Amino acid sequence: MLFSMDMQAQDKTLRGKVTIAATGEDFPGVSVFIKGTTVGTVTGTDGTYSLKLPNNANTVVFSFVGYRSVEVAIGGQSTIDAQLVEDIQSLNEVVVTALGVKKEKKALGYATQTIQSNDLIQARETNLVNSLAGKIAGVTVVGNPTGIGGSARVIIRGERSLNINNNQPLFVVDGVPISNNNYGSSGRGNQEVDYGNGAGFINPDDIESMTVLKGGAASALYGSRANNGVIVIKTKSGRGTKGIGATVNSTLTFENVLRLPEYQNVYGQGLGGVFEFRDGNGGGRADGVDESWGPAFNGQPIRQFDSPTANGLRGGDVGNLNTRIGPVNLAAQLAARGEILPTPWVARPDNVKNFFQTGLTFTQNVALAGSNDNGDFRVSYTYLDQKGIVPNTDLNRNTFAFAGGYNLSKRLKARAVINYIKNTSGNRPNLSYGTENIMYLFNCWLGRQVDVQAMKDYWQFGREGLNQFNFNYNYHDNPYFNVFENTNGQSLDRVYGNLSLTYQFTDWLNLMVRSGTDFSNEFRDRRRAYSTQRFPLGSYREEKIFYEERNTDFLLSANKNLSETISLTASVGGNTLTQVFNSSDVFAPELAVPGVYSLGNSRVAIQAAAFRSKKRINSLYASAQLGYKNFLYLDFSARNDWSSTLPKGEWSYFYPAANLSAVISDMVELPKLISFAKARVGIAQVGNDTQPYQLQAVYNAETPVKGLPAYGESSVIPNLNLKPELSTSFEAGIDVRLLEGRIGIDFTYYNTRSRNQIIGIPLSNTTGYTSRIINAGLIENRGIELMLNLVPVQLENSIRWSIDFNFSRNRSEVKELADGIQNFVMASRYLSVEARVGGRMGDMYGIGFARVQNTDPNGKYYDPTGQFVGQVVYNTAGKPIPTDQVINLGNYNPDWMLGITNTLSYRGINFSFLFDIRQGGKVYSHTQTVGREGGMIIETLEGRANGYDLSLPGNGVIGQGVVQNADGTFRPNDFKLSAREWHTSITLGRRLLEGMVYDASFVKLREVKLGYTLPNKFMGRLPFRDVNISFVGRNLFLWTNVPHIDPETASTVGGTIIPGIESVALPSTRSYGFNLGFKF
Amino acid sequence: MKVVIKKLIVLVFVLTVFSACTNRFEEINTNPNAPISVTSSLLLPQIIRDMVNSTLGEAWGIGNIVIQHTAKNQFVNEDRYLWGELNSIWNNVYSNMQDLKIVLDQSEASNQKNYKGIALILKSWMFSLATDCYGDIPYSEAIRGKSDGINFPKYDTQESIYAGILADLAEANTILGTTGEIVAGDPIFNGDITKWKKLANSLRLRYLMRISNKRNVAADMAAIVNNPNTNPIMTGNSDNANYNYLANAPDQFPLFTTRIGSFNEFRASKTLMDVLTGFNDPRRNIFFRPTPATELTPDPSDDQYVGIPNGLGDVEALQFNGGPQNQSRIGALFYEEANTSRGLSIAKGVIMNYAELQFILAEAAKKGLIAGGDAQARTYYENGINASFAYYGLSMPPTYLTQAGVAYNPTNALVQIGTQKWIAFFFQGLEAWFDWRRTNIPALTPAATNQTNGIIPTRFIYPLSEQSLNTQNRIEAVTRQGADAITTKVWWNK
Repeated sequence: MLFSMDMQAQDKTLRGKVTIAATGEDFPGVSVFIKGTTVGTVTGTDGTYSLKLPNNANTVVFSFVGYRSVEVAIGGQSTIDAQLVEDIQSLNEVVVTALGVKKEKKALGYATQTIQSNDLIQARETNLVNSLAGKIAGVTVVGNPTGIGGSARVIIRGERSLNINNNQPLFVVDGVPISNNNYGSSGRGNQEVDYGNGAGFINPDDIESMTVLKGGAASALYGSRANNGVIVIKTKSGRGTKGIGATVNSTLTFENVLRLPEYQNVYGQGLGGVFEFRDGNGGGRADGVDESWGPAFNGQPIRQFDSPTANGLRGGDVGNLNTRIGPVNLAAQLAARGEILPTPWVARPDNVKNFFQTGLTFTQNVALAGSNDNGDFRVSYTYLDQKGIVPNTDLNRNTFAFAGGYNLSKRLKARAVINYIKNTSGNRPNLSYGTENIMYLFNCWLGRQVDVQAMKDYWQFGREGLNQFNFNYNYHDNPYFNVFENTNGQSLDRVYGNLSLTYQFTDWLNLMVRSGTDFSNEFRDRRRAYSTQRFPLGSYREEKIFYEERNTDFLLSANKNLSETISLTASVGGNTLTQVFNSSDVFAPELAVPGVYSLGNSRVAIQAAAFRSKKRINSLYASAQLGYKNFLYLDFSARNDWSSTLPKGEWSYFYPAANLSAVISDMVELPKLISFAKARVGIAQVGNDTQPYQLQAVYNAETPVKGLPAYGESSVIPNLNLKPELSTSFEAGIDVRLLEGRIGIDFTYYNTRSRNQIIGIPLSNTTGYTSRIINAGLIENRGIELMLNLVPVQLENSIRWSIDFNFSRNRSEVKELADGIQNFVMASRYLSVEARVGGRMGDMYGIGFARVQNTDPNGKYYDPTGQFVGQVVYNTAGKPIPTDQVINLGNYNPDWMLGITNTLSYRGINFSFLFDIRQGGKVYSHTQTVGREGGMIIETLEGRANGYDLSLPGNGVIGQGVVQNADGTFRPNDFKLSAREWHTSITLGRRLLEGMVYDASFVKLREVKLGYTLPNKFMGRLPFRDVNISFVGRNLFLWTNVPHIDPETASTVGGTIIPGIESVALPSTRSYGFNLGFKF
Repeated sequence: MKVVIKKLIVLVFVLTVFSACTNRFEEINTNPNAPISVTSSLLLPQIIRDMVNSTLGEAWGIGNIVIQHTAKNQFVNEDRYLWGELNSIWNNVYSNMQDLKIVLDQSEASNQKNYKGIALILKSWMFSLATDCYGDIPYSEAIRGKSDGINFPKYDTQESIYAGILADLAEANTILGTTGEIVAGDPIFNGDITKWKKLANSLRLRYLMRISNKRNVAADMAAIVNNPNTNPIMTGNSDNANYNYLANAPDQFPLFTTRIGSFNEFRASKTLMDVLTGFNDPRRNIFFRPTPATELTPDPSDDQYVGIPNGLGDVEALQFNGGPQNQSRIGALFYEEANTSRGLSIAKGVIMNYAELQFILAEAAKKGLIAGGDAQARTYYENGINASFAYYGLSMPPTYLTQAGVAYNPTNALVQIGTQKWIAFFFQGLEAWFDWRRTNIPALTPAATNQTNGIIPTRFIYPLSEQSLNTQNRIEAVTRQGADAITTKVWWNK
């Protein structure tokens, strides 16, 4: 009866299509209903809908959470299209919070920020973490230029832990933590390589959103590891897809060097203006020297390594100079090579540039998704193929993802998410200052006349496989030989995902049981060919690393309105975490047969090391949220952990959190200008444990001594009385929208105090030990974050311009360490990163210039006249005098950071660009230090305007500063040093590094995107929909005052990334290319 | 509804018990990778290797240069006395002392006098190295971080350290051989207790001589020399306390794997070269090679041996005598031929050699610290020279000992003894430097372009880490001893 009535009443169908105003993309899932009725539908994957109209239909309403609803009078129309505009006023936005629980943003008592799928896919980064740079207030990302997919270091709201490796946030995928480990790789002859950090392997194509939970309040429920914030990643699923849909996304980007040092092109290799190649080993004139203090470039004929010889060979085909590789008969070798025929002595301004190639990254993703009433699924395959700017470096990544859910019964739902990554690299470049790194050569020791192209053919004639061909046989490896023969391979298989069952007891009560895992098997092999400087007989090394993290948890959740005005959400849960780590490292230090890279081919006894560890944490937690009239929310949470790493009696620890959110605009009448206002405040504690095996000393096996087994006690004094760490954070913020959302302001102040940190406090080694494990320290971080969203222009269905500012400023202070301990060395390379009481985290210490002072009459260099105060003091030999003690040379953290994103959209066209600004902070440049010694960089022209004769004008350098007279007074320094001596003395042989520390401020054009979404009607009958093509660029321009290097840099020491210290880093890169996506 | 709640309560209870379960925690947190105790025989090898290697390494990098056995023709900072931190001896002495203390404690607890005696000898040798390099250092409170919780060990005076060293060596001599345990893990003497005993007494003579400018050591020296049964000393090269390297990795002579350029930037010092050439000393051709230019020609008769003056500037050093082609390199036995059978017999890690002992005795006799006067001094002196030749497998030219300058001359004996000792110390640059600081024999000219106002360095500066990790005690030591500079003299040198 009813049915027939409807039939009679519905005489008309309304059709149409909904798109997103900003991008022109089809908008699925939009609810379309007739105002004043319950008649409605939702749009399909292609954004279309059709709706049978009741007789009384006047107005159709299109609505979607987070977008402004659109009402259209139907009149006589049978087709109505709509474009929805994002509503920044609306806070009905849903965010994914702890444990994968979704909450309305307005109910949150803490700050979060989210990045959506498209921002990760279009202008993509091989290391996902780099995509966060500049987009989230309070997040510092240091992309480390270490080759393809190198590690990125992300810090949220400042460094809290004295353990420099323990400051990165926890990554959580679909509710289950995954590993962001960075397994170090140093030791055994300068073989330092960055194999990437765990989170960097996640495939952006499978991510729906990344939400950054910044404070302790947001993360108390994830436990210890969330102390540094949490990055919650939600992967894509088939939910919401009507029927089955496929998406395809392809990206092709090109990559080249962003910045190279500025080299001098006036003088070539040699010393004192002299050079002539004979054997590259000291046999010619200064041909064993690798510095560029040689003859000026005048095109004069000089014998060189690439000059032809009378016997038709090259100058460098000198034969074997190393008796370990074979017999050396220099006279016979030189005779065989023949006399070198001199060639013109000219600069090769682009020799370094020419070595690098254009990198190429191709990414292809295909995904299939679908859903119906019983379940949903999504399968996805992504192929990433990348070639680096360093020849013969590459990365190849295959990612398979599956997500599916099924309603087993009306009450029981099952869900599974599985990701498999196969990541291989034939070669990752070597890092850090040493022969294994090509930049060691390029920035410090490659004669400016050396044509790298001439080194491409990198074996000596007739000695292929045995002796490399090079410009210098004293210290260096040919860079092509280095990258083509001495490879660092990686093969990683990783699976992460989880299975969950949810049982709905009643409409307000459910129980979820979930088990997740993240495990990876990694194989690394390193080959070193015969005649490598550090491995004359070659070497081969295999490392195997297994890591597994298992999380099993349950969560019982209740959601009930206690009364008309009071709502309650409550949950109780438990988790057990097991981490297992196994590694082995086997090394064949010399090869019996050249070119055969197998452990079986070892010439001598194989060396091996292995390590296993295991850790377990059991946890119980509970949380409750009380809501009052949908404008006041009070949230409590509490957790207790039991960690196997702590001593009995201390292994249980409890920590609570609470926060409050008040939507003021719903509570009181506010001026019309203010369309929305919310205040929030929260306080939280997080406890923390430590690594396994910190409680008892052991004896470590060492390399045997002439066949005798050898052991030594570990140099760390363990502590049987360790307590858990505890960190307390407070945050308060306001969220205000003005002018109907045209202006949005989100401001947060926070304060974190971390106590009882478990650290190995360094000891004078005269105690017999290098550190003692203690609970120590009080580190405070204070800061502000300001997000400002402006929409200066917004015309309905037309142009929209928005600007998003992300500003943050963090200050940390080391309040306390331990009794009697004033400083703690967190890391060191050239400079030491030290926490000192009263100082900031990230302060770098080193020897500085002694300067004239007038404050302490009994101190050194006291000038009562005050005339010379602050000047550098030189000794009577014209060299700067070092300070007696290390001094603070600056902090590597920026003073503030600002990301500015401009987005312009017009129908299907979308243009955006992001400036990433970091102001302040310091960076030390080892390129500057050693580039000067080697006479390589432009600065080294100072003092040799007319060659090396000190009697000629323009030659020699008198350092700016003073000399102390015998009577204690000062006079301006008057001692002239030769250019070479000056540029070496300025660091006193790499000891006094103050002069090489620079203001690290920079502005980067981090990202540019120009996208166009073709209207689907253009496609006609073709099956493609939502075709989007974008031109994208990342890191296109850099503005900075730091010479030679990109100040966004770090050095890698084992698994530790030390910001602020550049160690002849690989150049950073700019990338540009295009992205094509469509659905069918 | 009630049923549901009851089920839930049970479920939560079960899971709670499960979650809070900690009964396997101690097992999980037990390190499976390494033992928590080992025997002394497993600790000794690394201590000895590390100490021998670091002594050799610091001799190569600094000692041989400052004592003017070698000179640099590139990267000349060390040769001009631009010394930064030199921490290898410090770090190795203290880090290995940690394990050595365990050997001492274990051997004391289990009454293993042989292990304890050897440990006392090593301890004495190691602390002497450290104090002779740095002066006052932590000694009595050192290595007690774990046992006594001493985080900031005080610096002892060198005088008291030497008292301790000599007492320990005397005790070692007394207790060695009083228990019967077989010593394993001994890469020096392979468990030969008598040889350890000889080393103990020989070292006592070395250290007594070292402090002989500060106190009268005659009675102590005589007591040792006059009672060879109770206090046996080395009687020949077979008693040498040497660490022999092997032909293959990882036990090769440490310099064997150096980059060729890094080896070649060290050349013969003009000072030693001229002395050796003046004496027609065949050891010259082992220590050094002919200049590369003359070595290249097939005819050995034109070979020239040329040393570089120490402490030239970079450019001057490299261009000296027309360039590196005309500057003698260090002998092949200390580099590419170190793994040949001849190299293995010469390129060793030396704790103490018989030759040195003979020169100590010669000096003692000449100075009247022990009996015998010039006659005995001459015997010891010639024994020392003979022992050194024998060490290098050389037969002595018939006129060597009788030629002017070598032939024992009572009026110039101390200079002759010191000069021959200095030659015999080749590649033992640290001991040579310590001894030279005491005697100023032979007379050395400071580096040509030195950065120390003409003073040859007399110590290392303390590691910078001590400034932050043991601040107050370091300041006290500096106040007592003098500025923390390389030109400050240590106690026995004042």
